[in-house]
Amino acid sequence: MGTTRTLRFTLNGEPVTTEAPSHWNVVELLQNRFNLYGARESCGQGLCGCCTVLVDGVAVSGCLSLAARVDGADVRTIEAPAATEDGLDDVQQAFIESGAFQCGYCTPGFVLMTRKLLDECPQPDDEDIRHYLSGNLCRCAAYPEIVAAVRLVAQRRATRG
Amino acid sequence: MKPFELLEPRTLREAATLLHAAGDAARPVGGGVAIMLMLKMGVLQPETLVSLASVEDRYSTIALDDDGQLRIGALATLRAIERSGLVRDRIPVLAQALRRLSNVRVRNVATLGGHLAHADPHMDLPPVLIALGASVRVVGPAGERVMPLADLHAGYLETVLARGELIAEVTCPVQGSRRAAYLKCTTRAADDWPALGVAAVLEAEGEVVRSARLVVSAATDVPTRLSRAEALLRGVRIDDALLARVGEAAAAEVTPIGDEHGSAAYKRELLDVYVRRAVRAALAAR
Repeated sequence: MGTTRTLRFTLNGEPVTTEAPSHWNVVELLQNRFNLYGARESCGQGLCGCCTVLVDGVAVSGCLSLAARVDGADVRTIEAPAATEDGLDDVQQAFIESGAFQCGYCTPGFVLMTRKLLDECPQPDDEDIRHYLSGNLCRCAAYPEIVAAVRLVAQRRATRG
Repeated sequence: MKPFELLEPRTLREAATLLHAAGDAARPVGGGVAIMLMLKMGVLQPETLVSLASVEDRYSTIALDDDGQLRIGALATLRAIERSGLVRDRIPVLAQALRRLSNVRVRNVATLGGHLAHADPHMDLPPVLIALGASVRVVGPAGERVMPLADLHAGYLETVLARGELIAEVTCPVQGSRRAAYLKCTTRAADDWPALGVAAVLEAEGEVVRSARLVVSAATDVPTRLSRAEALLRGVRIDDALLARVGEAAAAEVTPIGDEHGSAAYKRELLDVYVRRAVRAALAAR
């Protein structure tokens, strides 16, 4: 028999409280309780990255994470707006300029993983980028443009100092 | 996924007691990667999951003990181990093996204890840790015991752990002067499950090997020492002719099992080639 769990956490900067069945994963929680569809289940096995969510700043596969994982945590999804006029950060801007997507299904996961990559390694070379993003799949195969977009952000941040 | 009850004990001992009481109806969950896959497939349909996420912090730490061995808590994430300065410095082969294990998000949540207890022979760390001589400390409802990691796995997805027993900690002698390498062959994507893994840990002076430990994984149902191949390496200078005999001996002393990553015959060929490469790679490493 299933149980429910009370979850209190910070979601994209706002404190929230909800109840959810214990067997729900984080994608189900975000979609069913908060109407957030940016993290979506695709492969269901942690290989494709479409369900990427940041929990306390750590990238996780939402489809493999039990909802209880977010209790007490700071959760950020692609829906969190950046503090810019259009709400897009420099990673999103570079993805647009580089044409780093076609259908866009995988883009939220790539953007979140790119932010983490650049936090950990501000000036990655192509090998670093491919290695870090190897757990994200783009079925439109925009990989060359994605690598170019990551390099563009890194280059702009370096120039800006 | 079938609904279940989720328990979140605050101590590892309490978790062991809950699991012991519930028996087959309950399963432990650490990072939750492997078990989530099995729950989704319906391979496991537990009534209760016992989460280890809230147990004592000491089971997530990585530290050097007084005997010069590295102690890694079972709930340390693979990513924490990969990025640990202590691990990179004292057991570099472990950090190297981790870099090519699945992907960053999986390593961010998967725990060492779960990685070992899952007992899937395709896991990368068992052969490395067994070749290094690691042991595991296991906590149960009645007490604890320590065993060589080499004795943990009993078969495909099976361990010798009794009802209610949980891995608490892994102790691994540092690499020291030993030279080590872990090579794997993935036949589909680069971060796919391996068709074969080989760990080699050598004591050597120049090109002369004093002792060798070779462990194969993924091609056999449990990680397996290659004793005959090891014996050929003892006290001799490495050259291509010797390595050819070592590869042959390794391929002859185990019975590979075919799966979707490669047939048994293909894995036998892989073993011959990868044992030779792993010895060379270990000699070239520090």
